[in-house]
Amino acid sequence: MATSIRPRTLLSSTVFAKWIVALLVPVLVFTFGWNGDLIVNRVLSGFLLPGSSAYDTLTLIQAAFFVTVFYLTTVALAGYLVASDSGRRGMVEVWVNILIFVLVPLGLVIYTNNLIFGLALCAIIWAVYLYGRRLLLRIFHYTPPPPLEELKVIDAEQQVILRSRAIAGSFWFAVVLAVIWLIADLFFYTTGTLSFQLLIWGIIRTILLPVAGYFLGQLAALIALRRVITPAGNGGNERKEARGRVSRRRQLEVLSTARASEEAKDLVPNDLPLRSTGAQRFYLLLLIAFVLFYPALDPLLFGSGTAGRLAGYGDAGFYVILALGLNIVVGFAGLLDLGYVAFFAIGSYAWGILGSPQIGVLAGFHVNPQIWPWFFWPMILGAALIAAFWGVVLGTPTLRLRGDYLAIVTLGFGEIVPIVFLELDKYTNGTNGLVSVYSPAFPGVDWSANTPIPYYYLILALIVLTLFANLRLRDSRLGRAWVAIREDEIAAASSGINLVNTKLFAFGAGAFFSGIAGMYHAAKLGTVSPDNFSFGDSVIYLAMVVIGGIGSIPGVIVGALVVYSINLFVLNQLDTIVADPSNGLYYVLNPIYTSISHFVPGFTFGSIRNPVFGIVLVVIMVFRPEGLIPSARRKRELHRAADEAAEVGSLDVAPGAPGFESEVRID
Amino acid sequence: MGLLLQLLFVGLSNGAIYALIALGYTMVYGIIELINFAHGDIFMIGSLVAISTLTLLGITDASAPTGWTLVSVILLSFLSAMLACAMLGVVIERVAYRPLRNAPRLAPLISAIGVSLILQDLGKLWKGVSPVPFPMGLHQIFLTTAFTVETVQISIANILVIVVAVVLMISLQWLVTRTRTGRAMRAVAQDREAAALMGVNVNTIISTTFFIGASLAGAAGFIYALQFGGTIFTIGYQLGLIAFTAAVFGGIGNLVGAMLGGLSIGLIESLATYIPDSDRTTHFLFNIPLGIPHGGEAWTRAIIFGILILTLVFRPSGLLGQQTPEKV
Repeated sequence: MATSIRPRTLLSSTVFAKWIVALLVPVLVFTFGWNGDLIVNRVLSGFLLPGSSAYDTLTLIQAAFFVTVFYLTTVALAGYLVASDSGRRGMVEVWVNILIFVLVPLGLVIYTNNLIFGLALCAIIWAVYLYGRRLLLRIFHYTPPPPLEELKVIDAEQQVILRSRAIAGSFWFAVVLAVIWLIADLFFYTTGTLSFQLLIWGIIRTILLPVAGYFLGQLAALIALRRVITPAGNGGNERKEARGRVSRRRQLEVLSTARASEEAKDLVPNDLPLRSTGAQRFYLLLLIAFVLFYPALDPLLFGSGTAGRLAGYGDAGFYVILALGLNIVVGFAGLLDLGYVAFFAIGSYAWGILGSPQIGVLAGFHVNPQIWPWFFWPMILGAALIAAFWGVVLGTPTLRLRGDYLAIVTLGFGEIVPIVFLELDKYTNGTNGLVSVYSPAFPGVDWSANTPIPYYYLILALIVLTLFANLRLRDSRLGRAWVAIREDEIAAASSGINLVNTKLFAFGAGAFFSGIAGMYHAAKLGTVSPDNFSFGDSVIYLAMVVIGGIGSIPGVIVGALVVYSINLFVLNQLDTIVADPSNGLYYVLNPIYTSISHFVPGFTFGSIRNPVFGIVLVVIMVFRPEGLIPSARRKRELHRAADEAAEVGSLDVAPGAPGFESEVRID
Repeated sequence: MGLLLQLLFVGLSNGAIYALIALGYTMVYGIIELINFAHGDIFMIGSLVAISTLTLLGITDASAPTGWTLVSVILLSFLSAMLACAMLGVVIERVAYRPLRNAPRLAPLISAIGVSLILQDLGKLWKGVSPVPFPMGLHQIFLTTAFTVETVQISIANILVIVVAVVLMISLQWLVTRTRTGRAMRAVAQDREAAALMGVNVNTIISTTFFIGASLAGAAGFIYALQFGGTIFTIGYQLGLIAFTAAVFGGIGNLVGAMLGGLSIGLIESLATYIPDSDRTTHFLFNIPLGIPHGGEAWTRAIIFGILILTLVFRPSGLLGQQTPEKV
């Protein structure tokens, strides 16, 4: 079929303008405002003029990968968004959305030169913006455009149009980007900051990008068409094997109307660029590339101090694993657990005893420091299983309890376990704790405290495994049994679910992941002592799950990162800024700091960590008890009416609304 | 024998303090079915307020007032602690619990934990990290022995603690059973909507409950500071959980149960220190040392939590609570 790359009508021109500008501005900000082109130039000069670069080859290759992925993904995304535009939302609205949700975080990270701090400030701005927008919309009695009421079927001719729009979108975006970049390169060349080889590369790139845009547009069209409903066949898939299966349209018609209209919103065309599932795949790709190549990018993007930052992210990582584990117990199965730190302690001590000279002391043999660290890898499973066993044991007394009583019993266990570890000091060395716990061993990799990079990748791998396990668990029969127990125990038991087994499985599974996290923590820190485990930590883990959104996997990940940054990072950052006049925020923070110091001697921002945390907890509970990213199931329960205003910023779910959540009451 | 009596007495006076705090827990749970995690920290604030009032009144370590000055100083400090805590309790209820009245169970629990964190650090910021001492001169007055039973010395502080606790408990019991407000509180605890239909202002009654419960915690804070000569900002968390165990042990929602539970837990805690240290014991049974490592003293918290767990598993209604059936 003939594909044209010229825009067809004037209407299409506005569409192109809308999306191309919307995407171009962030890309240009990244390229020129945040050292994007610096990365590219450093990489290229590293390759073309070897020996001139300060970075080693591995870093350069990783950085090269990332920029390639970044720019190609953006070009493809342009095509996707142009193809999926339905014209119901105006240019200004899209631009404002992109400004607030993409440019503001980007700008803040650049300004503060610190990823977590910039994102934390950005979250505050978002909260204020969403609240203000809701108020404004209510004042002006804004009615959103009506939702798609019927499922549109896209026939062959419309598919062609879609494809051509995608290709055109990608192509023109790539052209504009290449031209702007070339102009910038010429400018830099004339001012002497760009070498001749890089200018040659710039010219090559100006030719390559539009060609890439053409092909990426086809790819984007393919991705867009995967989600549409076609007259025959299954989701645009016209292969022979589709004939035997039920068509997507039929599937959606069979579902409830609410579900169908919700699914319909996900299908192309969809012009909420930040919420459509198709566009989210692109964002996910960018995020994965960023996280994967982060150790290489960090020195290029943020300057010095990479090691400290990476170590911090490693710590944030095991918080994520803990949150995911607790999410199984509290979120999926609805068993309120206030003593989760007990399982974390068990996991830590498992490796602390078995993976340090202590095992030699206890069992009476000499521990070889070269061989023993290799046991880390099988012990990951071992410690997790030990923790899971104790999870089952500690969960057994709670089987008949509900709600608050369950919470208190788990709280009791959370207190008893650290006391046991403290007092049985023949095995655990009591208050002094276990020292010289071994790090893992991997050929050719230095695991000492100097380089946090291996720990960073280790925690990434562990997070990926945990995430995968959680997703499979959630969508499995067991996961559905957990949700059934959470909603109504007696009905679940009447439906044939074995309450005892399912609950014990929940405790065991939750403890399994905390065992993994505990082991990582013990290995990274090198010591294990009972002071690390207290009720306050249990509260932090519960807050991670609650703030993020109970039962929702992306929610608890975000919750874990938010809580980590509040608890361990943001306030210490504020202290650093107050002492550092070169930072722009100094002039805002220093007067506040000095005025408070008059009243409270010895005040530092770090010391008010706990009350800030407490205030955040109370505020979130009062204003948004379903968490930052509520689970899809809860969203479905709450937004039964196809009210599009609710989807844009669902801050407006009041507690006490009918069907909010089924309570488990103690009678 | 003397040792046993001593332990009994210490347990009783500790138990009186636990009972006062447990009353606050049980009242709040009975009326809005919420475990008020912040209650222990209200107790802590009460003890800090008591000591601050004494300092404000000009009592230093050296001063040793007598006669009416002594009585008035003590009374002022006591009343200010009670009042401050009562107001704090009402404010907390208004800000952190009332908006969540209809939310699922988890929300007010998390909110309570948040308030507890805030209060703890408020105490830390106000008075610092190190223990805050009760004025020495005054403390010495109360430590003088009143009389001796066998070899056990009973000081004025001990008597005061028990007397104050008993008086407060009796007056609370009178309030709840013989006054209109008390009847309204019992009605709201029994069935909130029916009470509202009967013309009870539910919000006011809940605020009153918090007022009374928190004032009892303030009183407990005062007598704790008096008896032990000082406080520290972490005392709320430590004692709060023990007092909560007492409330559950005695039957949550039941006032007499809370009092009994407090006294029992105090007794159990002091008797637990009697358990010998297995590392140092001289008694053996089949070659296994009698006792537990580091002695009972190190394990008291674990033992108390063990009691909590056993109570909740085997008799969740506590000693005096009613066995309520599980409704579908």
